[in-house]
Amino acid sequence: MGMVSASDDFPGRPDSAGLRPSAFPEHPYVIQVRNLRKEYVTGRGRLVLFDGLSFDLAQGEMLAIVGQSGAGKSTLLHMLGALDAPSEGDVYCASIQLRTLNSRQAAAFRNREVGYVWQFHYLLPEFTALENVAMPLLARGEPKAKAFRSAEQWLNEVELGDRVTHRAGELSGGEQQRVSLARALVTGPKVLLADEPTGDLDSRTAEMVFSLIERLHQTHCLTSVIVTHNMMLAQRCSRVLRLEKGRVDEVSPRTLQ
Amino acid sequence: MRFELFIAARYLRAKRRQAVVGIITAISVAGVAVGVASLILALAITNGTRHDLQDRLLASTAHVDLMRTMNDGIRNWRPLTERLRRLPHVTAAAPGLYEPVLISHGAQAGGAMLKGIIPSEERTVSDLLSNLAEGSAAPLSAQANAEDGTSEPTPPLVIGYDLANTLGVKAGDTVMVTSPQGELTPYGLVPKYQRFQVTGIFHSGFYQYDSGYGFIRLTDAQKLFSEPDLVSVISFKVDDLYHADRIGREIEQAAGAGFSTTNWMEQNRELFRALKEEQVVTFIVIGLIVCVAALNILIALTMMVMEKTKDIAVLLSMGVQPGQVRRIFLLQGFLISVIGTAIGLVVGYTLAWAGHHYRFIHLAADVYSLDYLPFAPRLIHGVIVTAVSLGVSLLATLYPSSSAAKVLPAEALRYE
Repeated sequence: MGMVSASDDFPGRPDSAGLRPSAFPEHPYVIQVRNLRKEYVTGRGRLVLFDGLSFDLAQGEMLAIVGQSGAGKSTLLHMLGALDAPSEGDVYCASIQLRTLNSRQAAAFRNREVGYVWQFHYLLPEFTALENVAMPLLARGEPKAKAFRSAEQWLNEVELGDRVTHRAGELSGGEQQRVSLARALVTGPKVLLADEPTGDLDSRTAEMVFSLIERLHQTHCLTSVIVTHNMMLAQRCSRVLRLEKGRVDEVSPRTLQ
Repeated sequence: MRFELFIAARYLRAKRRQAVVGIITAISVAGVAVGVASLILALAITNGTRHDLQDRLLASTAHVDLMRTMNDGIRNWRPLTERLRRLPHVTAAAPGLYEPVLISHGAQAGGAMLKGIIPSEERTVSDLLSNLAEGSAAPLSAQANAEDGTSEPTPPLVIGYDLANTLGVKAGDTVMVTSPQGELTPYGLVPKYQRFQVTGIFHSGFYQYDSGYGFIRLTDAQKLFSEPDLVSVISFKVDDLYHADRIGREIEQAAGAGFSTTNWMEQNRELFRALKEEQVVTFIVIGLIVCVAALNILIALTMMVMEKTKDIAVLLSMGVQPGQVRRIFLLQGFLISVIGTAIGLVVGYTLAWAGHHYRFIHLAADVYSLDYLPFAPRLIHGVIVTAVSLGVSLLATLYPSSSAAKVLPAEALRYE
C-alpha cells in the first residue's frame, strides 16, 4: 500500500542482500559526496551552482554550510536527503547510493534515514502538534496508538509535552520549530538536515532552538548538516563548508566571522 | 490506506485557507446530492409510470392468448379450456371469439373489434368489464344464462368509452352491428347485421381498447359471425407474468399441434421498449447533473492541490510515498462523492417514498388516466446511481490527484 516498511531495500546499500555494492564498502562515514555537480538550464544558458564537490561526514559530526544566497546551500541539502538529484556525481547517505533510488525507494529513504527541519516550520495546520510529529510514523504504517506514543515522547523531549493538542497556529515561532524538530527525529534517523532552522526566529529563540539541536545531536548520536547564514551558530558546528560562486571550501569554524 | 484516509478526512473537515475552496467543496457535495436525488426520483417516476401502465394493461388483457396457427378457429374449446386451465402456473382461462365489425348509430359509424365472451370467465382474465364508466355489464351475464337469450331482438353490447363518443351513444341506446362475415345469397355475399343495445361503456384508460373494442355474449357472436360453437382464442392468466413466454410454450405444447400462443410482452413490446428508452434517456439527461458535480469536484481538488503544494512537499520530504499523496486526494474526492451520494440517496428515496405514500403531486385524471404521479423507487436504481456517481466522481479526481503526486518537493520548497 505504498507504506515505508522495514523490508524496503535500498540499492547501493552494502548491507542489503543482493543489492549493488557501494563504492565505499567499509567506511566510518555517514555521508559521502563525490564530484557533485549541479547545474540549471536557464534562458541565458547553463547556471552551475557547484562542480566537483566532494566531502565526507562521519557519524556524530555537525556540518554547517554557509555562503551567500543563491550559492546552492539548500540545493545541496536537498540532494543529501534525496529530494533533488545532482547533475553529476554521487551522494552516499547512510551507506545508500542515492542516485540509484527510484521515487518509492527515495521516499522510504527519507522516512527512515533523514529528518528535515526547514526555515519555516511547515507544520500541517489542520493537525495538532502530536499528529504532526506522528505523521512520518503513520506514513510508514505504524499503528496510530504506537505512533502517538512515540510522538508524545518526542514532544516531551523538546519540552512541549503540554502542547500536544495545540495546532500550529496556536504555537509560538520557537514552539513551532521545536515541534518541527521532533517531527524530523521521531523516526530515529541517522542524519538531521536543517535548512536555516533559526532563520525565521528572533535571536533569543534562535539560540534556544539551536541549543536544542545541539543537545539532540549529542544525545541521539546524529550526523547533522545545517545550512545557516548565522556565523555565530556556524562556529558552534564541528565543521564548516563555504559555498561561494561555484567554489566550495572547508573552513575552520574558528576562523568564521 | 488508514494514513491516507486520516489526512483526506481532516483536509475535508478543516477550514480552508482560501474560503472559495471550501465553498466549491460544499457546492460539489451539494451537486452530487442533487444529481443523485434527481436520478432516484426520475427513475422512481418512470418506474412508477411503467408499473402503473403495466398494471392497467395487464388488468385489461390476458397474459397469454392461445390461437390456431391457421386461424381456423378452435373447435371443442370447452374440454380444451378445462384441460388447459388445470395446467401448472395457469390461474384462469376464458374463451373468446374476435371479429372485426362496423358499428353504426344514426349517421355515425366506426370500426371495432367485437369479442364474444362468457362474462363469468372473461372477468377472470380481464378487468375491462369491471371498469365501466356508464351503464352495466350485468345484462351480458344475465342474458347469457337464459337459454333463449340469443333470440332477444337487441342483445346487450358493452363498448369502449372513446368508441361510444365517436358514435355518440349512451348506455341504453341501440346500435347496428354489421359483420363482414356475411351470408351467401343468390345476390352474392350479403353482410350480416344485428341490432344491439349498448348496456355499458367501459373506460380502461387505453385508447387502443376504449376506441376499438366491444363485448357481446359468445353465443351472440357465434351467431353473428356464423361460427357455430367455435372460438378464435382462449385467454389465460398465469401466476408469473414475467415468465408468460415460457408458460405460453407449455400451454402450446399441451394444446397440441396447430396451436400457437402470444403473450402480453410480445403484444406490447414496442410500448415497453419505448418506456425503457425513455428511462435511459431520462437517466442520461439527469445524470448530467452528476457530471457537473464531478466537474466541481475536479475544480475543488485542483484548487486544493494548488493550496496544499507546500504541505504536499513537506509530506514527501518526510517520506510519504507519491502514491500515498495520490490516494489522499483520490480519497478526498471519493469522500466528497460518498457524502453527496449518501445525502442524495436519503433525500431521493425519502421524497420518492413520500410521493408514493402521500401522492402529493396531482395530475389531470382525464388526461393521464391517473390522478397522481406514481413513484416506484427500486433498490437496483440506487445501486446503479451510486455506482455511476462514484465512478464519475472518481474520474474527476484522477487529474488533481495525479498532479499532487507529481509535486517536486525541492521545487515547491525552494520558492518560499
